[in-house]
This record gives sequence, structure tokens and C-alpha cells, in this order.
Amino acid sequence: MTELVGSQAEKIREFISELSGFALVAEYTLSTIEKDMEANKSMFSVFSDRMLAIRGTAQQLELKNIAEIAGLGEEIAVKGSGAETRSQIRKCVGSLWDALTTVKYLLEHHAEETSEEQDILIHRLQATLKAFGGSRPKVDEDEIAKLLRDRG
Amino acid sequence: MLREEVSVLVVDDVNTMRTQIKLLLKSFGFRHVSLASHGEEAMHMILNGTFHLILADWQMAPMNGLDLLRFVRTNEAHKNACFIMVTADNTKENVIGAIQLGVDDYLLKPLTADSIQNKVYGVLLKKGVLA
Repeated sequence: MTELVGSQAEKIREFISELSGFALVAEYTLSTIEKDMEANKSMFSVFSDRMLAIRGTAQQLELKNIAEIAGLGEEIAVKGSGAETRSQIRKCVGSLWDALTTVKYLLEHHAEETSEEQDILIHRLQATLKAFGGSRPKVDEDEIAKLLRDRG
Repeated sequence: MLREEVSVLVVDDVNTMRTQIKLLLKSFGFRHVSLASHGEEAMHMILNGTFHLILADWQMAPMNGLDLLRFVRTNEAHKNACFIMVTADNTKENVIGAIQLGVDDYLLKPLTADSIQNKVYGVLLKKGVLA
């Protein structure tokens, strides 16, 4: 949010403090899913929502790695809620623990350079998402403007 | 109506975001900017006040931005309020859902001062709130 109001460092401090709470909700959710994967798979949507909140604010603050990993976590969680077999759910849960652990680490060490381990994780999450059919279709600003115009 | 008279409600569960949007709207000259941290709080504020423009995040609990939009559009006293969805969620299915429910515009994160200003003025002018 460089262009908006206040110093970037101050906004990042506020963000880290606030979103660390969101990460805790995501952690609790994942633990609950793990206790009974099939019965609790609807809770993937809670995880997905928290990852979206983290992604949106991370994008705003230009914290690209956090935004990218949270975005992958968001999409994999969506796949988890629609997974039909226990092994698929287990694979989603495993990937989401990796994503969440890394997001939490990056929230605490946002000033550090990207490590090779993080790049490897991003590739692994991308591969997992691809194996589940890839991200949901997205639209950009121009397409949204067109959809609004077409509505009349 | 003058922009100083326009009443705006900003709804976002991330304090950092809603505070930043409020400061920005104030810098544009909007004097009456209220904040809510989720849809349910916003709904009570709407029922007890008059808002010409609502800027709402999508993912919030209790009551998300889409449910808040549905509430506004089906409430006789408030159905004409301007409504802009402010979110990082650009999945086609969700965008179409919001448009079908009557959202006036859609503001994608990351936000810039220009993008907020353009969308806010665009919607207020289009709906005749600002002359």
C-alpha cells in the first residue's frame, strides 16, 4: 500500500500482527480437519478464506512471496473441500501444512531474501494444484469491466 | 449532493485495510466515513443509518460481502445504495455472482489511490449521488 497512507514499515508491522492471528485460525482449522478428514472437509473453506485475507493484504503491501504461497494455499484448500477420497484430502492437508508453516515463517521474517527452500515449496504447491486440476478461472479488471457493461 | 455530504461505509475484517481506505477517502474530501469489521456489523449500521456508498470486502465472518450485498439489494429502504466489492477474489464464478446480485463495481486488490478514486467517483456519478 505504498501509494496509500502512512509508512510502509508501519503498515507491515500492523499487517504482520493482524494476519498472524488469521494464520492461527488457519492452523486450528487444519488441525480440526486432520482429526476427522472426511467429516470435517467442509472446514477447508475456512482455511481458504483466511488464506485469501492474507493474500489480499500481502498483495497490497507488495509482500510477493507471502501473497503467492497464500494464493496457492487458498486454491488447494478449495480443491480439498471437493476432494472425494481420503488420500486426496490427506494430500491437500499435507500441502496446506507446508504452505501455512511457510506463510507463518515469512510473516515473521518478511524482510529476508527468498530462500531456495521457499522456491522449491512454491513449485511443489503448484504441482499439487495442477494435479488437482489447477486454479479456478480468474478474470482481470478489463474482463470485469466488460461483464459489468454487458449487464447494462 | 456534494462529496462532503456523502456518507460512506467501509467493511473489511482486516483493520489495516479498512483504516487505510478510510484515510484515503478522507483525503479525497469525504467527511462521513464509517467502519465495520464484518457484514453483520455493517447490516446493523445500515439499518440504523443512511449510507450512499458501501465499500465491502468479500470474505468476512459473520456475514460475508456477498450476503451483505444481497441484504442491501433486497431491503426497500437501502436497495439503491452504491455498492463496490473490494477484494482480492477475482474468480470468474464469484465476480459473476456479485454482478448478478447487483454490485455497482468491483475493486481488485492491490488497491491504489487512483483505482479507489476512479471507482468511487465513477459509481457515485453514474448513480446520480454526485452531480
